[in-house]
Amino acid sequence: MGKEATSQAMNPEKFEPKIIAFLCNWCSYAGADLAGVSRMQYPPSTRTVRVMCTGTISPHHILKAFQKGADGVIVAGCHIGDCHYLKGNYMTIKRVAILQELMKFTGLQEERLFLNWVSAAEGVRFAEMVRTFTDKIKELGPSHLKTSY
Amino acid sequence: MEPMAEKVKELLNEGRITGFVGLRKQHNQPAPHLFTKENMADLENLVVGDVRYPLNKVLLKLAHRFPKDRLGVMVRGCDERGLNELFKWNQLSRDHVTPVGIACPAALAEACECYKPYPSEWVVGEKTEGISHSKRLEKNETLTQEKRLQYWLGQFNKCIKCYGCRDACPMCFCKVCSIQDRNFILTGKLPPENPTFHLSRAVHMIGRCIDCGLCEEACPSDIPVRTLYKEVGKIVENLFDYRTGEDTKAKSPLNLLGEPTMDISDVNK
Repeated sequence: MGKEATSQAMNPEKFEPKIIAFLCNWCSYAGADLAGVSRMQYPPSTRTVRVMCTGTISPHHILKAFQKGADGVIVAGCHIGDCHYLKGNYMTIKRVAILQELMKFTGLQEERLFLNWVSAAEGVRFAEMVRTFTDKIKELGPSHLKTSY
Repeated sequence: MEPMAEKVKELLNEGRITGFVGLRKQHNQPAPHLFTKENMADLENLVVGDVRYPLNKVLLKLAHRFPKDRLGVMVRGCDERGLNELFKWNQLSRDHVTPVGIACPAALAEACECYKPYPSEWVVGEKTEGISHSKRLEKNETLTQEKRLQYWLGQFNKCIKCYGCRDACPMCFCKVCSIQDRNFILTGKLPPENPTFHLSRAVHMIGRCIDCGLCEEACPSDIPVRTLYKEVGKIVENLFDYRTGEDTKAKSPLNLLGEPTMDISDVNK
């Protein structure tokens, strides 16, 4: 087991989750920005990847995030019907739904992948989402994939 | 003469096809062969029976080289599902393919856990009941989350990245393969990214895998990839009411943008 993973597993209080957040430029990223500008406090667990639309996020990207040791992955896009590119988020929800089931089948703890819709005005909701998800990941512990590659 | 050979002879003589993709006994082994009007004598060695080798991949290569020719092909239940999908994905033209069906015996249907071991029409074999529940999938359900992870990571660890599963798959037709992308799957490392390599392939099998089993047969490391793709098929069926290859018109959920049928309450369970 890697040194970092061992020490985190042995000291649950010291475990600081690393969460990759895929945010779409028009809604969720703006929502996150609003949370920042409004000086809202939320755990510094997320590393943001800004994409133009969550519809461009392939399951490959999500899998790569986990492979590289992410403890959790958030995919946050526009609400259904509000996608800047009209229907991009239709694909997102299909892909994430299937990937979650596949992760469950192979024992990969599908709770580590979280999909949500956050609009540009929902700074409070964004902070709340990160807070809740970080707590959940802290409970789950470090990702088992940290020990490989 | 054997019924399938009769049928093929008829099709070739009438000019409805210029070639038939079937199996021929060569050096005591069955191997894919293109039967034509010029070499009708080869039909004496046509292999029709329990030897199962899905031929769509061979058909695809021939159809691409000879796009104007009308070709015939021996199809089992799974092959027909494959053809339905290949037509929808625009890899083959329905007018240029004449399937000649064979129904699978019960023992084969059980081994494959096939839900429909017969095509819509066949000249050889008898209809047997499909298998509705997969024992392999049920076995996975009995494992705890930790045991599942241990099992699957262990299996994927045996991979030698031969790409046999991808090369043998009749539904894999991409010119540029994602799991061969150097930025995604690093070269020079074995086993390849565990589990990203196999889960990526599984994700690509959404709406494509017709459960022919060639992948598992090709794998030199005996990784149960077919089980993984069976699960993918089941997920798509449960979430989108879509059975790969069953319908000749409806497109797979990832092939079609469509209207939103799911909402946030359906995910993150």
